[in-house]
Amino acid sequence: MAQRTVIPFGPQHPVLPEPIQLKLTLKDEIVEEALPHIGYVHRGVEKAAERMDYTQNVFLVERICGICSFIHALCYCQGLERLMGLEVPRRAAYLRVIWSELHRLQSHHLWLGLYADAFGFESLFMEFWRSREMLMDIFEKTAGSRVIISACCIGGVRRDISDQHLQETLETLKTLEAAFDKSSEVMLNDYTVKKRTVGKGVLQADKAIMLGAAGPVLRASGVEQDARQTGFAAYDELRVEPVVETAGDCYARAKVRIREVRQSLDLVRRAIAGLPDTDIAVRPKGRPNGRTISRVEQPRGELLYFLAANGSQKLERLRVRTPTFANVAPLVHMLPGSELADVPVIVLSIDPCISCTER
Amino acid sequence: MMLSSVIRNLFSKPATRPFAPAARTAPQGYRGAVEFEEEVCIYCGACATRCPANAICVDRVAKSLEFDPFKCVQCGACAEACKKGCVQLQIDYQHPVAVRHTVAFHGPPKPTVAP
Repeated sequence: MAQRTVIPFGPQHPVLPEPIQLKLTLKDEIVEEALPHIGYVHRGVEKAAERMDYTQNVFLVERICGICSFIHALCYCQGLERLMGLEVPRRAAYLRVIWSELHRLQSHHLWLGLYADAFGFESLFMEFWRSREMLMDIFEKTAGSRVIISACCIGGVRRDISDQHLQETLETLKTLEAAFDKSSEVMLNDYTVKKRTVGKGVLQADKAIMLGAAGPVLRASGVEQDARQTGFAAYDELRVEPVVETAGDCYARAKVRIREVRQSLDLVRRAIAGLPDTDIAVRPKGRPNGRTISRVEQPRGELLYFLAANGSQKLERLRVRTPTFANVAPLVHMLPGSELADVPVIVLSIDPCISCTER
Repeated sequence: MMLSSVIRNLFSKPATRPFAPAARTAPQGYRGAVEFEEEVCIYCGACATRCPANAICVDRVAKSLEFDPFKCVQCGACAEACKKGCVQLQIDYQHPVAVRHTVAFHGPPKPTVAP
């Protein structure tokens, strides 16, 4: 007779890079219900942002997430620039695209490695992470730091990338692409990988929209939506077509990210080729006043910042809606019906970033 | 593909570096440990105002500066704010130490006016 068991998955679990707990109600080996519990890494960033100067907050919001730190800073700066009526110089906008796409590349490499590790393919994990080191070296060279690059500021960017570094970046990307071709081939075509991913954790397009999925999770279900289409930074000139797959399973989510890596490589090359020769920043004047919502596309999906300012040095309110937060509800919907052994792969397939989610 | 990887990895050098004997120098422009030139400092407090981690404390009246390297996040905001160029970020990273300490210095004492 089938027995119901409740298994706590996390907060400490070998596949989870960050702590989240899912209480899984199982009927034999099949998941019947999943209940998420968050609150293990809450740091009070939103409250801290109300106590700090609005210029100091750029460094604070970067620390919400280590994997896409630049994009957090970009979203925050973009919102403030709108409130203060600043127009960012074109070169700065292009440099923002270059660093954003490099961050997307390293985030996707990181995820592909962790994903391979989730189904026990450790050598593939090593291959992706070895490639990722090349990107970290680019950040160190161009921005001065590997993880928290602190390159964005209100009104533009803090430092320029020299022609020599741009050339070196292009050379590195060539090596990276060759390595990625081989590793992604395994991820897409290997028999054992497909056995673990095809048809697992299926999310239909209508459910994805109803549950508010974001980013690759949404696009893997066949919904054509990407915040880069809104044309922030220099994406208005560097057109981006959303990468869409229709199956909605773990394999499709990996495929979307693999195709996005190629798209990002192309975007970085196009941005470097079309880099205009202007200033890199404008000096902000006055203080922000008013309310706005800033939207950008993170590697995990759409990131929203709500900013409320009252003309003083400090913000009245900063609200961050991260893509993983949006993807927890679809995850809870994906899990019922799957086997317990597939849970780690399905959880990893949404690319959970819990530090982002809890801020 | 995996067979070629196995053969390549068997005969290639390790992807990692032996850290202590072959420590690598960081590239130019790397944001490392913060250092102050106390002779140049005018104790204006611009660095302390901009520091997001509250690692710098400047007393403009007493002409003193205290810097806590353990609070510092090496963002470089102080170096950008300093008009005198007395704050610099070293190429080398912040080395670990056994005892927590702060860096403090102060300006020359005010000349006393003869009665």
